[in-house]
Amino acid sequence: MRVGIEVGGTFTDLIALDDGDKVIVAKVPSVPGRPDDGAFAALAAARIAIDQITDLVHGSTIATNAVLERKGALTALITTEGFGDILLIQRQDRERVFQLAYRKPDAVIERRDVIEVGERILANGAVETALDIERSAAQILDALRKRPYEAVAICLLNAYANPAHEQAIAQRIRDALPTLHVSCSHEISREFREYERASTTALSAYVQPIIDRYLSRFEERLAREGFRGRFSFMQSNGGRLSAKAIRNNSITALFSGPAAGVAGAIRQVAPSGYSNLITFDMGGTSTDVCLVTQGQPVVAPETRIDGLPIRTPVLDIATVGAGGGSIVWQDSGGMLRVGPQSAGASPGPACYGRGGQAPTLTDAHLIRGTIRADAFLGGRMKLDETAARRAFEPLASALGLSVQEVADSTVRLADANVVRAIQLISTELGRDPRDYVLVPFGGAGPLQAGRIAEDLGIDRIVVPQNAGVLSAFGLLAADYTVYETATRRIPLTESTPGEVRDTLKRMRDSLRKRLQEAGLCGVTRHAYVLQMRYVGQAFEVEVPLDDDDLSHLSVSWLAERFAEANQRLYMHGGGAGLAGRNIEFVGFRASAAVPENCGALPPSEVEAPRETTTRMIRENRSMRECTVLTRTVIRSRGDSAGPLLVEDDLATVFVPSGWYASEDSAGNLILQRDKTS
Amino acid sequence: MKLDPVDYAVISQALLAAAREMGTKLVRSAFSNIVREARDASCAILDAAGNIVAQAEMVPMQLGSMNTTLRACLDLYPAHTLCADDFLVNNHPFQGGQHLQDVFIFRPVVIDGRVIAFSGSTAHHLDLGGGSAGLNVAATDVYQEGLILPPMKFSLSRDWNGGIFERLVAANIRVPDQTLGDFNAQFASVAIGIERVGQLCRKYGTQAVEAAMAEFIDYSERRLREAIRAIPDGIYHGSDAGDDIERKGEPLWIHAKLTVSGDTIEIDFEGTCDQVARNINSPIASTQSAVMSCIKGALLGDDVPFNEGSFRPVTVKVPFGSILNPRPPAPVRARMLPCYRAWGAVMKALAKALPERAIAPGFDNTLVTCLAYQSSSGRYRVCLETFGGGFGASVGQDGADAVAAPLSNTTNSPVEAIDMNFDYFRIVEYGLNAESCGLGKYRGGLGIRRTYLILQDGVDFSLYGDRFEIAPDGLAGGSGGTTCRAELIRDGQAIEVDLKQGKRLMKGDRVVIRTSGGAGFGNPRDRNSDLIERDIDQGYIKAAVAAVTYR
Repeated sequence: MRVGIEVGGTFTDLIALDDGDKVIVAKVPSVPGRPDDGAFAALAAARIAIDQITDLVHGSTIATNAVLERKGALTALITTEGFGDILLIQRQDRERVFQLAYRKPDAVIERRDVIEVGERILANGAVETALDIERSAAQILDALRKRPYEAVAICLLNAYANPAHEQAIAQRIRDALPTLHVSCSHEISREFREYERASTTALSAYVQPIIDRYLSRFEERLAREGFRGRFSFMQSNGGRLSAKAIRNNSITALFSGPAAGVAGAIRQVAPSGYSNLITFDMGGTSTDVCLVTQGQPVVAPETRIDGLPIRTPVLDIATVGAGGGSIVWQDSGGMLRVGPQSAGASPGPACYGRGGQAPTLTDAHLIRGTIRADAFLGGRMKLDETAARRAFEPLASALGLSVQEVADSTVRLADANVVRAIQLISTELGRDPRDYVLVPFGGAGPLQAGRIAEDLGIDRIVVPQNAGVLSAFGLLAADYTVYETATRRIPLTESTPGEVRDTLKRMRDSLRKRLQEAGLCGVTRHAYVLQMRYVGQAFEVEVPLDDDDLSHLSVSWLAERFAEANQRLYMHGGGAGLAGRNIEFVGFRASAAVPENCGALPPSEVEAPRETTTRMIRENRSMRECTVLTRTVIRSRGDSAGPLLVEDDLATVFVPSGWYASEDSAGNLILQRDKTS
Repeated sequence: MKLDPVDYAVISQALLAAAREMGTKLVRSAFSNIVREARDASCAILDAAGNIVAQAEMVPMQLGSMNTTLRACLDLYPAHTLCADDFLVNNHPFQGGQHLQDVFIFRPVVIDGRVIAFSGSTAHHLDLGGGSAGLNVAATDVYQEGLILPPMKFSLSRDWNGGIFERLVAANIRVPDQTLGDFNAQFASVAIGIERVGQLCRKYGTQAVEAAMAEFIDYSERRLREAIRAIPDGIYHGSDAGDDIERKGEPLWIHAKLTVSGDTIEIDFEGTCDQVARNINSPIASTQSAVMSCIKGALLGDDVPFNEGSFRPVTVKVPFGSILNPRPPAPVRARMLPCYRAWGAVMKALAKALPERAIAPGFDNTLVTCLAYQSSSGRYRVCLETFGGGFGASVGQDGADAVAAPLSNTTNSPVEAIDMNFDYFRIVEYGLNAESCGLGKYRGGLGIRRTYLILQDGVDFSLYGDRFEIAPDGLAGGSGGTTCRAELIRDGQAIEVDLKQGKRLMKGDRVVIRTSGGAGFGNPRDRNSDLIERDIDQGYIKAAVAAVTYR
């Protein structure tokens, strides 16, 4: 039995696959502050015998919440003398340019917990001021004993180029204070720019004891119940890692939830023959979108949490505050807006009847007719349309429109917010969304996907089955992955191809070792990224490579790939002004993945038959007659013309006019746009 | 044309997104540390008449000049005479521009043979010639400050990429690799803006895009008028003073008279001091930018886009020949200094009208250092850095520590980036300037300390900045922040750096820069004791000082 458990802010989702075709799904409320209680409650609800589990994959917001609530471990920072305020000064800029009462993002380590040591390494790795290890160690250990520290982050200037001083200090601390968690910047994020590296290292150290305690507690509880299987944890880079390894690399445990959804979507639509996807996960408060090319999600070198940079490879997921609970409002200039404020799960949309007064996106769907009051979540939750209308009335009178018109405008505005998020990860990175299929999931995704696809010029939508538990399934579908990054400046000259190849091979060997240490062997898939720029630039353009490319690296081939990537991103590659400029490598990234042999989910059970009906809806500025039917009906009917509302127990799919719906042999719903319409 | 409200919202937000994308990509493809690390650049989409529609909010100061520089070009080359391959360029301080280093470049968006918008960008260029590399603090007129590019029209395909304009610029600057690279980044960002506006026209129709641009401007105007209506009608005065760098015996006074009447504001700088012989003069466009940024910050914050509509309810009157509207050919390089004092004077006036919206004076200053070095081969290298400091405290919270001042939003250069790129100096200390803040119910933010160690003989060091003599003064009972300091340490002796001229440094010299902390707000006795304890515990203030002030 393989089990994936995803603990979200509101619900804990579980999916279990036995060796046959049986799928068990469970959804229980999460327990605030105790994600493991939610996970075990889900196991109990699904009646799963823990000693029968062979593979358990877990995703949790434990690390993310520790940072957002600043409830991580008491952590010290060791840094180069003269630079102790690095986490407080940050990059000196303001996130909100015109705000006068501005507040910087709070650092996770305070000023009194910073220890400066005398040493200086230069950009080329040369030691300018040697570390007096005896003196420094005495001073450091003395300081570390003063307060009940659980973790220490070490980030010295230019340690990416020469980690010797960081290593020496770490060794002394580990010898003297073996219970302290030690994180070194050269191990967490071996890249230049000291603030970003220090921030990443500090965050990693700050959450490490939390993750460690959490996993220990989880493992003990599993062991008590006879668990003998593999236990792994989801990472922000879209792959999983054994629970043991994640303890030394806690920074990758942040943002694992959205990454799991992407992994699930990729696996679930693969049998339908699609590998170029834009995943679109719309939940209650926000929407996550990610671009997947040839089955591989785009990886970004950096992300942020609560304004603090994290320099580590993560799935390039764009998030906007648009979800079913997003509140609709009019600003003081008269503009209609949707989100980012959300009514959340409590009180929730006005139509939930739990005291919510503000109009939300879900209320808008109900008023338009694209959600039916008695068919929400398979009819398990009755919605109050009168309450929804009442919530929209003030807006309608302020705008001089009917309630239905405002509701329709609301949905279109929410569409536009999602379109902009998708442009951020496609058009702005030089990728044409028309080369991709849209894969909507989450509660609200399949309702909005049609018009969003039209706006982007996308002609095909693949709605995966079991769209409601795709994130939990993604845990089981995720490969084991490890990443390595390095800053190393090499000019592009005749001798470089060899040097690049050697660097990447060294990184590959090191990744292999890490996988072996994690008990993983077998077929490994490698991917590489070269971070290149024109000499004098500060930001790098990423050029992806695979193992095959390594054998035919040449100066001209590398220069061409770089020019292509530069042109795609910046419209800046082809100009004659750049033709003569020198090119250099700044950094390298390598990943190794041990593929997990997990197929797509088997087709879901046949739902209870429901009558096919029609109803009037207001959609895209006009009233339309819309057929309401189930997936089963589509399955038997074949190609069905929109407008349709396809309802199942977890979500409603809206098929606009001009689109056709059918179910393919893999059980996924395919929406195809009729280009002649 | 009647515009659907949703189409309007979508198009206007897409125009904003386009401007932001232009800004991000300009920075990411730039070459000089001042643009690529410090992000001293801005981008905008403007309508065919030169009205700002949407901007990437990067450096507030530059934003207010997008329209004036473009209009000066359009006076000579009306929009209907332009074709898609044309570009307009202008950096003239007396024809809509700011200082010479900010070069504004525009290209028309041509749809079906008609110009419907402009895509524009500006960047602070590292060196544009002039009396010395990077920064000529001793200039006595604008000609000594660098190459003047009056409003001009060129053809991109003919005149750049080896063409006459590029060769002319290249021949007049010291670090062409970086400067031309930054010009290329500007051209590329402008091309992105054209592409994005074109896409919107193809999708929604040109008319809808034009209508949305007009409505977006009206929208910002409505938001600002509404905010102004909330201020009680009346006349409010505010004054601020800059350092007496010319030793005239009194500080450089800026007086602002703010008249609020219904939904309009008039600001009159009558009585402000005359222009000066040094580079501390602000061209009128810069003064207007500073005033607009202050009003926007106090009244609207970040929620409302800063565009042409923001200017309409506000009239700015500045006497010709004053430090805020000098006669040509006054030198203007350090125009940010009087601009900040104009910002401060208006903020003090607003503090009387809207005490809950204003903040106490802070570092509010541009402090720029320039380290230039010419190697024995004749090659120049230039490093420009802009400093942050402490923000003033406000009615509800402490001022932010160590941030770029309100009219700017430039980042610091990572020490590791400097280590990688410059071998003639090194940063050996970078931290908070402890104990620099003013106290009060809320304290000001702390300034910054940064120390350069010089590694070669013959490094030319220069800087400009204000607040070396006059510290930020406290608001509503709070105490003032500290002044800035620049010290040269040679052979164990510390001497104050002379701001009036550059200094040739020797190997082993150290230059220590300390920037102002912000002033406090409110009576110190009302301060929460936990906050006092935290400040002492973290080493932000001294226990002895706290004991006296907070007793």
